[in-house]
Amino acid sequence: MRDILKDILEAAAAVLAAFLLYSLAGRAYPPLVLVFNAFSLVVIVFSVWKGELFGAVLGTACGLLQDSFSLGVFGVAGLSKTLLGYLAGYVSRKMQIGPSFRNFVFIFVCAAGELAVWTLLYALVFSRKMASGSALVLFQPLVTAALGSALLGLARRLEAAKP
Amino acid sequence: MPPFLKERKNVIVLGVLVFAHLVLISVQVPLGAERTLFDKAVFAFFAPVQRAAAGIAASVSGSWKGFFGLRGVRAENQKLLKEIFFARQENFFLRERLRFLQGEAKIRENLAVLRKTFVAARVIGLDASDPFKSLVINRGAADGVRANMAVCDRSGNLVGRVVEPVAFREATVQLITDPEAGVSVVSGTDRIVGVLAGDAGGGCRLRYVMSTTPGGQEGEALLTTGFDRLFPPGIRVGRIDSVVTDASLFKTIRVAPFFRFNDLDQVAVITERFEELF
Repeated sequence: MRDILKDILEAAAAVLAAFLLYSLAGRAYPPLVLVFNAFSLVVIVFSVWKGELFGAVLGTACGLLQDSFSLGVFGVAGLSKTLLGYLAGYVSRKMQIGPSFRNFVFIFVCAAGELAVWTLLYALVFSRKMASGSALVLFQPLVTAALGSALLGLARRLEAAKP
Repeated sequence: MPPFLKERKNVIVLGVLVFAHLVLISVQVPLGAERTLFDKAVFAFFAPVQRAAAGIAASVSGSWKGFFGLRGVRAENQKLLKEIFFARQENFFLRERLRFLQGEAKIRENLAVLRKTFVAARVIGLDASDPFKSLVINRGAADGVRANMAVCDRSGNLVGRVVEPVAFREATVQLITDPEAGVSVVSGTDRIVGVLAGDAGGGCRLRYVMSTTPGGQEGEALLTTGFDRLFPPGIRVGRIDSVVTDASLFKTIRVAPFFRFNDLDQVAVITERFEELF
């Protein structure tokens, strides 16, 4: 019970941090919001750490939070991030994603998949192509993968340094 | 819990979550542009967090700039004093000129109306999925801000309009660069009327101008017409970037908005809606 509470508190803190990061990035330079998705990063990292169930629930929370601060249909990002959280958690259990490069490729594929699902849902709901005409959004999986693998690498080192 | 349910717990939870999302998305179809109560609640809960983050960032940035700004402040002070002197002279001259053109009572009346009509707001966040779609400001229902009020930048150029959700102290603004936006505009010189919408890349397009319509030059300014009964007429919107006339029914007109994303730290909300102004 205590562990679950700890996990929830950690996830809540991470969601809050992602939200603050998105808020500050937008203020600093608006296209940064397109270049990386802090919410996806949190969902992937926690899915790898805590498993697919936790990832799916956290994906729902992060996606709906992103939807509420975006014009459009409420639930599109929620659904894509729920699937992202589940699949990232599931695949990371089945595959060895430990080495840095594998880690990078894994997160890149996850982030690209999520972007593809979001684009598909957007196209289905609005009957039009991708929401953003800016090509910067195509860098999102790459930047998310770079930041995610760095974060996981850092976490592993901290874990290893523990007595 | 039966063993087969325990084994498939993860898949069942995923199924429930996906189903809930599909219901949530479907529920919005009859609502149209209106936001669900859940959406409004999430926005109302997290908007103050964004407001606090923006406040902290602004104060840290202000202190940083203030610290370095102290260097060379004396020279800048001298320069400003000189500028103030000329600005005062110019102001005096313009006031006299204005008094000459209009009665003083009329001027006071105009200024009072303006002061009452605008609410200055700070931008505290951008759209989480696409920064060219919307932004969040630190004024809400408590400040008299309501849906469909026009929003301008510091220079009086149109930025967008207030849309739902409007929280107690925060509100969402749909930008004119959003492809879902629509502003009735007229060109300053050739008087071409069309509907301005975003192109999803930070620019705009002027839609529904027939290929047979004469005029429309690059560099021509666009102003609101007020035909949409949302935006007051005469607000500066943007400048025509390019005009392409081909075999299609309508011209392809690209428009560069006058407002600049990097200058959008402060905006003005016209707190009287179209129907109240006219």
